[in-house]
Amino acid sequence: MKIRFVFITGIFAGAAFFSRAQVPLFTTEGFAVPQPGHAFLFPQDHGAHPEFKLEWWYLTGHLFSKDGRRFGYQATFFRSAAPDKSTQVYLAHMAVIDAKTGKFYYQERLNREGWDADVELGGLNVHNGPWSLRMTDTKNSRMELHGGVRADALFALDLFPAKPLVIFGENGVSRKGAEPTAASYYLTFPRLRTTGTITFGSETIPVTGESWMDHEISSSQLGADQVGWDWAGIQFNDGREIMLYRLRLRDGMADPASSLTWVDAAGTPKKSTFTWEVLARWTSPSTGAVYPSRVRITTMDPATKQETAFTLEPLAQSQELAGRIGGIPYWEGACRVLSADGHEIGSAYLELTGYAKDLKL
Amino acid sequence: MSASLTALFLRRITLRHWRTSPKQSALLVLILSLGVAVFVSIRLANHAAVASFENFTGTLTGQSDWIIRAPAGTLPENILPELREALGSRPVHIFPIVEATASPPPEPGAENRFGRPTYTLMGLDLVGITNLARPQDKPFYGHAADSVQTEGSDDFWNAVKATPWLWISRDFAPILPTTLKLVIDETVRTLPVSGAIPTAADAPRAPANLFILDLAQLQAITGKNGRLDRVEFLVESGPRIAERRAELQPILEKLGRSGERWIVTTPGARRDAAETMTRAFRLNLTILSLIALLVGLYLIFQALDGAVVRRRPEIAILRSLGVEESTIRRGWLCESAILGLLGGALGLLLGWAGAQVSVRAVGQTVNALYYTTTVNSANLTPVEIGIGLALGLITALIAGWWPAREAARTPPAQVLQRGAAPAAGHRIMRSLAAGAGFVLAGLACAQLPPLHFEAGSRFPFAGYAAAFLWIFGAGILCAFLLPPIARLGIGAGGRSAAVRVALGHLRKPSGRHRLAAAALLCAIGMTAGMAILVASFDQTMQGWVRRTLQADLYISSSGAQSASSQNRISAAAAHDMASHAAVAHAALLVAYPIEIDHIPTILSGVDLDDPAIRPDLPWIAAPALDDPIFDSSRGSLRALVSETFTARFNLGRGDTVRLPTPDGVKSVVIAGVFADYGNERGSILIARRQVSTWFADDTITNVSLYVKPGVDPDTLRAELAQRYPGLSLFTNARLRNEVLRIFHQTFSITYALEVIGVLVAVTGLGLTLVSVLLDRRDELTTLRALGFQRREIALAASVEGLAVSICAAVGGLVLSLALGWLLIHVINKQSFGWTLSYALPWRQLAALALAVSATGWIVSYGVGLWGADLPADREE
Repeated sequence: MKIRFVFITGIFAGAAFFSRAQVPLFTTEGFAVPQPGHAFLFPQDHGAHPEFKLEWWYLTGHLFSKDGRRFGYQATFFRSAAPDKSTQVYLAHMAVIDAKTGKFYYQERLNREGWDADVELGGLNVHNGPWSLRMTDTKNSRMELHGGVRADALFALDLFPAKPLVIFGENGVSRKGAEPTAASYYLTFPRLRTTGTITFGSETIPVTGESWMDHEISSSQLGADQVGWDWAGIQFNDGREIMLYRLRLRDGMADPASSLTWVDAAGTPKKSTFTWEVLARWTSPSTGAVYPSRVRITTMDPATKQETAFTLEPLAQSQELAGRIGGIPYWEGACRVLSADGHEIGSAYLELTGYAKDLKL
Repeated sequence: MSASLTALFLRRITLRHWRTSPKQSALLVLILSLGVAVFVSIRLANHAAVASFENFTGTLTGQSDWIIRAPAGTLPENILPELREALGSRPVHIFPIVEATASPPPEPGAENRFGRPTYTLMGLDLVGITNLARPQDKPFYGHAADSVQTEGSDDFWNAVKATPWLWISRDFAPILPTTLKLVIDETVRTLPVSGAIPTAADAPRAPANLFILDLAQLQAITGKNGRLDRVEFLVESGPRIAERRAELQPILEKLGRSGERWIVTTPGARRDAAETMTRAFRLNLTILSLIALLVGLYLIFQALDGAVVRRRPEIAILRSLGVEESTIRRGWLCESAILGLLGGALGLLLGWAGAQVSVRAVGQTVNALYYTTTVNSANLTPVEIGIGLALGLITALIAGWWPAREAARTPPAQVLQRGAAPAAGHRIMRSLAAGAGFVLAGLACAQLPPLHFEAGSRFPFAGYAAAFLWIFGAGILCAFLLPPIARLGIGAGGRSAAVRVALGHLRKPSGRHRLAAAALLCAIGMTAGMAILVASFDQTMQGWVRRTLQADLYISSSGAQSASSQNRISAAAAHDMASHAAVAHAALLVAYPIEIDHIPTILSGVDLDDPAIRPDLPWIAAPALDDPIFDSSRGSLRALVSETFTARFNLGRGDTVRLPTPDGVKSVVIAGVFADYGNERGSILIARRQVSTWFADDTITNVSLYVKPGVDPDTLRAELAQRYPGLSLFTNARLRNEVLRIFHQTFSITYALEVIGVLVAVTGLGLTLVSVLLDRRDELTTLRALGFQRREIALAASVEGLAVSICAAVGGLVLSLALGWLLIHVINKQSFGWTLSYALPWRQLAALALAVSATGWIVSYGVGLWGADLPADREE
């Protein structure tokens, strides 16, 4: 059964409302709140912001071997401050999908702040156990990622921005809900040229491809009525990207703060309206959650000023991270982007949270 | 054909005899089973005691691949980032671990006793452990401040709380308490209980004495902030795991500078070390447990031999009918085998039951001398069942082999002759030369060195061989005492016909008499030999305790209840007590377990400068009075070592020891050797200030206080006990008593084994007389015809039994003198390296000889009464 969710965002009305609202400096717990007009300073702002409650460095990518084998990967490093601000814990998720076999590998790690998990303040250098992400060349924002899933799939990747950093949101703040504190600083490298290796067992495969990296800093990601979100980072073959998030309310509707942003070839973001249509669903045997498994997105293309529709089609249905350690089950999967006539026009990573249980951050 | 004949033999002869005299057959099975039972119970108890030495983390993390630990002291926590950096992106879990020990506070009124349980407190990162991603790790997240819960939750913030929370085993308390009171170092703490230690459904439950806390919390409680006891490494599962495990070792070795910073080892190696450490102790127990079996072997031999004699007419008829020798032999061996299997099976059951008791005794000793064990039950495994049955079978076959041969070889004409003389026994049993030969061979064995195991332990194999040779030799020689004792008895018995009849038989002792005497001698000899060892040990210990325990008050953490305890006294508390107005002098001692060349030993720091508090050591090789060791200002690196240390490390006065310390390896020259019966790992004594500097640790293990004249130590004790409720305070007299009580406790299992040996031997004597009387049923008929009363026949039997008992007692006592010497100067010296002075517990030995003779006399009288009622023509 297809259920069609159509929503038209009241972007302009919302923006007017938000701009009038007073943004507090701190949440009730005492954590910093993202402030409009914040002046970012790099490479420092690639590092940690412990005055905020929550922060993540989120890499997803599509890799190809010389003989055409296709892989998707996810490498996420979370920092989360204790409610009493006494300490921090670091959660990390790694996942690899082999498109040929459909085999999905994932692993979670949780460590308290200390010798086995840490994030630098002055620049990008995060590690959690044997996994790490470092900016090795701050001038060119070149990065190095070491990750893996147990000993089943290990990857070592060099990441080099093909486009400048994008700061999403209005005046440097990405809104997530009606509450003035529900906002983040949202920094993205939407296209990173990627080279390196993936090792499966004793087979090491040289790969090249493209990655997407988000660095998001906040103290309150979701409003009280929001139960989760759907997010997609779409890289079109024509050199443009889309970042969209759809914040879901308890009644199944989308929050007006939901957003779709086009990034043109030069790296300039531009918001647009969109519709989200679930074409198929998949039930997780692990958590029992029912996730959208094929989604059609319709939006206004700022280049053509025409409505355009495309479908996100997962490389495999089973790309759920069960959240056994951190308690957050979600689906994060590599997808093909298909045009209305069925041609592959890009690659995407789709993230679906709050389906197994309400997402609480 | 012969197989069917054997079956016929078993059915027609063996089974018929078993049916007609079921008690005798049951007794045979019982004797055999008792021998097997003692062996099995000790084996099970030993097995359980070693099995309980677990690398406790294994319960939680599964088997680690590698472990690193400091050669001495602890590891600094700052090596962890270095280790992660060195391992790079290799998928390896790293688990830092802190361990401590604790004890329950003493019950009111029992403050002056050691022996309370020792618990292991293990601190590990309760957040990090969840990265193993197993369902059972999740509950470590879950606890609520006001209730005990075991269900997991996603709230991992619970695991990083600053307040210490305990996780305990369901085996410790099926219903979890809300709090637990523990003595840790000098403090009594009440800790809230978080829940039961989670384990996987298919994994063994956490041992009862294991408590888990978060790493940081345990570090804070024990003052080990920034310090670790070990770090464990677990390679992530997946392809090429063996290869990845192997490549990890050289990385760790290189970083650890080949043992200088840390030792790289495996959980298996730790278990092996524990096993090696107690191997000599366990072998000693096993050998002792064989005594009952050895005595049983004598008796089975005897009983089967008796049965051969009694069934001679039937055998002769079978032989006359053309049944071959081999068929008869096979029939007898089958009978032995069946008896053996029955005895083995019953022995397994009895042994298992006995193990439930002995396991505690073995556990107690292991706990006192070696390490913490959690053992409280022993289980029968298929291997143990096989061993028990095989032991019964082999013993019965060995015992039955000679009688079977005799049965098969006896010519029909000879056996059909009614009233044939009882067999004189095997030629060896009648050979003076053989007896003397065994004794001489034993003497030669006693001169041989021990076998050397890893980790410095030794086993006196040749010493035990000497003991067995002497037991056999003495068993043979002892029978030569029977005729002179008989002659003496006849002389002393005057005109008593009963005495003359009884002793007349012993003037030419039968093989059965010889065997009964030998079995009894074996039991008495070993029991008395052990009594001599214990008495010698006791006397030596008392002297040592008198000499070394000179202070008025001895103070240690109340949590320090076993050899593995790590509880300390803070420097502040120690100095506070030392500077008390009633204290004239105070001697402080620090002790650290260390490993020299992978052999564990103990490094102690003592105050050697001040003659007033310097320990008065019983010297084996004394240093000169002006030796620099007695003047720390001279800064020389010199040490005193215990006698056990010299034996373990093969070092003596003037040699140099390379001592691992957290401050690097130190070369120390041995200035003197002293006797120490406190531990068998050996100890090395160095000036305390030096040791504390090396270990960067100012905590104290023991404080000894010398009070000022006129001060009552009990009053001071009461005052300090009130001030420091977590400390154990012993006055001199109480500590001496406690030391000796623990010493006797470690011998408790030995006594039990000896008593079983003697019981088996006395039962055997009764059995011998039953056979003898059955053999002589014609003579009994004649005696009755001549007017012998029932009482007189019983008297005759009792005199015969008494004479055999006296002969065995005399021989056994002589044997015990030799065995005592062997145990003290060869077996003990080679096993533990302790020099003991020889002491003879005359009263105890005399009581043993009297008890055995009296029991032998009473049992024989009872058998005589039974024999008097035997019908003349009863078929036996």
